[in-house]
Amino acid sequence: MNIVVSMKQTFDTEATITLSNGKINSAGVELVVNPYDEFALEEALKLKEAAGEGEVVLVSVGGEGVAKALRTGLATGADRAVLIDDPALADADEWAVAVALAKAIEQIEYDVILAGRMAIDDGSSQVAVRLADALGLPSVTSVLKLDVDGKKATATKEIDGGTEDIEVALPAVFTAQKGLNEPRLPSMAGIMKSKKKEIKSVTLAELGFSADDLLPKTNIQEFSLPSPRAGGHIVDGEPADAAKELARLLREEAKVI
Amino acid sequence: MSGTTYVYNLRDLKFILKEWLDMGKLLSLPPYAEYYDADDIDFIVDNTFKVCRDKVAVVNDDADKIGVKFEDGKVVSPESFRDAFKAVNEAGLGAGNADREVEAHLPYTIVQSNYEMLCAASLAFTGYWGLTTGAISVIQNYASEELKEKFLPNMCAGEWGGTMNLTESGAGSDVGANVTKAFPTDEPGIYKIKGNKIFITGGDHDLCSNFIHLVLARIEGALPGTAGLSLFIVPKIWVDDDGGLGEPNDVVTTGIEEKMGLHGQPTCSLSYGENDGCRGYLIGAPPDENGKASGIRQMFLMMNEERLMIGIQGLAVTGAAYLHSLAYAKERVQGRKFTDPKGERVRIIEHEDIRRMLMMQKSCSEAIRALVLKSCYYYDLSHDSEDPEEKAFAEGMFQISNPLCKAYSTDMAWLLISDAIQVFGGYGFTAEYPVEQLARDCKVLSIWEGTNYIQAQDLVGRKFTMQKGKVLTDWMEDIGGFIKSHKDKEGYGREFEVLSGAFGDMNYILEEVSAYGEGDRKEMTPLFATRILHAAAMLYCGRLIIDQALLAGEKLIELGEDHFDAAYYKGKIASARFYILNIVPQVGAIRRVIGLGDASAIDIAEESFA
Ligand SMILES: Cc1cc2nc3c(=O)[nH]c(=O)nc-3n(C[C@H](O)[C@H](O)[C@H](O)COP(=O)(O)OP(=O)(O)OC[C@H]3O[C@@H](n4cnc5c(N)ncnc54)[C@H](O)[C@@H]3O)c2cc1C
Repeated sequence: MNIVVSMKQTFDTEATITLSNGKINSAGVELVVNPYDEFALEEALKLKEAAGEGEVVLVSVGGEGVAKALRTGLATGADRAVLIDDPALADADEWAVAVALAKAIEQIEYDVILAGRMAIDDGSSQVAVRLADALGLPSVTSVLKLDVDGKKATATKEIDGGTEDIEVALPAVFTAQKGLNEPRLPSMAGIMKSKKKEIKSVTLAELGFSADDLLPKTNIQEFSLPSPRAGGHIVDGEPADAAKELARLLREEAKVI
Repeated sequence: MSGTTYVYNLRDLKFILKEWLDMGKLLSLPPYAEYYDADDIDFIVDNTFKVCRDKVAVVNDDADKIGVKFEDGKVVSPESFRDAFKAVNEAGLGAGNADREVEAHLPYTIVQSNYEMLCAASLAFTGYWGLTTGAISVIQNYASEELKEKFLPNMCAGEWGGTMNLTESGAGSDVGANVTKAFPTDEPGIYKIKGNKIFITGGDHDLCSNFIHLVLARIEGALPGTAGLSLFIVPKIWVDDDGGLGEPNDVVTTGIEEKMGLHGQPTCSLSYGENDGCRGYLIGAPPDENGKASGIRQMFLMMNEERLMIGIQGLAVTGAAYLHSLAYAKERVQGRKFTDPKGERVRIIEHEDIRRMLMMQKSCSEAIRALVLKSCYYYDLSHDSEDPEEKAFAEGMFQISNPLCKAYSTDMAWLLISDAIQVFGGYGFTAEYPVEQLARDCKVLSIWEGTNYIQAQDLVGRKFTMQKGKVLTDWMEDIGGFIKSHKDKEGYGREFEVLSGAFGDMNYILEEVSAYGEGDRKEMTPLFATRILHAAAMLYCGRLIIDQALLAGEKLIELGEDHFDAAYYKGKIASARFYILNIVPQVGAIRRVIGLGDASAIDIAEESFA
């Protein structure tokens, strides 16, 4: 069983986001593997372990710093990694990333492609489904349970208010939702072994693209931070009066009742 | 709350490992060169942080609130410990790190950095493998190949626990008063063991399937006192030749202590050979023809490492208390600024006295982190350096730092955590916040592994005179030489003046100590030993933290004031300044007290203590 895991490096969930010159300021921010991608990797490792053979290959787009995230994945148990590292992708949108990933993945043998349900930074949930589209594969998103049986898989997918079981022919793309599994953490031995594992860096040219093939199709106009939370309001007075006043405020000012 | 929020100062640890200590040099030495380089440090400590945050800190509440129970003769640990124990072992953070013969083992400095993070996550929980590491070291260094093969693999894997058994009801600080006995059997190297041990950490529990006790006992005919003690490997369940578990070995857990803190850690009373059926393997040779045995020397190997680990435990809980109190001080709104009494209500971090307490905690915990990790670094060099001179120097520096690490870190832990509670006000005294647990958990650190007075005695009695005083001379030269070569550094005039003064005070103290030894006032040495240890620790910590500040100053120039990390480096310089200008002057006060030479504590009649 060969599995490709598409992985993204994101800000730590606890990082404080600031803007400078209209861009998100990344200096000094702790970077981590996108938490949903950790579920994807764990599932990949489990599938490989259950099959008793195969390879788990990580694929990512980004600069040299992303190699750190890939190495964490290798330390956790993935076998090798491919990093699409090209300055032309610095401002890439979801479409460009998906197309670039698809090209890199075409060169790898795979039965299953796994990715996180979304990246916690931009939260757009687009790359994996666009990737499936670019490869002409079916995709199942927000997977909570995955059973692979030969050339087909059954995935339990989260839907509004419940779940849905979907049978799908392989190869296919699945995106991992929290709850799919409990990701393992790397061990000291894993960290050491990961140094000997390959992280192959490729450019767009090496993937057969020319300079402006992957110019973004979308354009970010502006980033803005959420407005700060307004201060609370304490309603003073006797309980009965205060309750009346509260009801009035909720109706007339907050307009929620 | 305490169980779920993991706090740890990774930045300071990374400063030490990646900027201050020359880890590149250490990692280029033969045991490591092939496997590690300085770039791996981030991966390792970041990963340990995650294991601590996600798998270990989450059991700290259970450790305190549920604790261990003694039911039907069995020690029962909280349910959540199982997963955490498995996670620690799987992550390679458990007892296996003590194996210094295995390929690709980590240097001690990194192992202990990981250990600090683990202790900060749950000090009580670390007791489930902390002493196994010491037991592994002793077996690896002194036992026969056959015994190593028999016991080490399962101990390293965390399947079997290891313990150290010195203490008996009549033999605490006075280890030589040990009455546990060993009798030869027909099988060479195997003895019958008979006696009772108390206060045995991890002596029994339900996370391991067997316990490998290292027991100090006296073989008949051996000398009295520590010189006649031998060390035995006594399994709880006998291990058959095929490596499988055999019959129970007549080692019975008779109870566990109810304690002030560390409720999650079993402190066991063990009875050996109640039914004459307890056997143990002698480590090394039997006592010589004069009755001199080698147990205490073997046990000491384990003790030096364990003592350093206790210093790290003290540091870990101190650091956690500091970060909790810092977070609280940034949120709690109370009162107005002293300088603006009519102004807005402010967060307590804006009050001068709160800043004093935060700075006290910050500067001391950083100074102590410098002390213990530098000591670990020397320990590594003393094992791995290829330069015999460097090796010998490092060994001496490790030896002299050892009692400082153990006693200064843990004496300060209690005081500094008290400051952390003070920052919380009344809330700090309640169980809703984590600091009261840290206070309860830390108190034993100044007691076990040799009370802090025993450390002071070790420093003044053994370490100061080691190699005819060469170790002490090297250590003083390290401090004196450092001051001399940096004292004109711009911007640090006052700091070096204070440090120089403290250095002179220490010289005076050392002269007094040697005069006590030669004169007729020998009892003055033990009377002042604890204070001498504190003076030595403050002087040395001052030297280390200002060294860090000088480096931080250089980084600041290199990166500029606007760099995201500038605040860290400025904080480091502030820590050094505070430590030297507020704490190091106490060395002078100790000198003055020693100069006054008051002996009223000795002279007062016992009945006047009323
Ligand atoms: C939670 C816990 C876990 C422990 N774990 C272990 C373990 O795993 N293995 C083990 O073997 N032991 C263990 N111990 C025992 C511990 O090491 C001893 O408690 C300690 O060494 C002190 O001995 P004691 O309690 O008998 O005190 P005592 O020796 O009675 O000391 C009482 C006081 O007298 C002082 N004192 C004693 N002798 C002198 C002297 N000559 N001069 C001046 N002052 C002196 C001491 O410093 C101390 O302040 C543990 C203890 C505790 C509380």
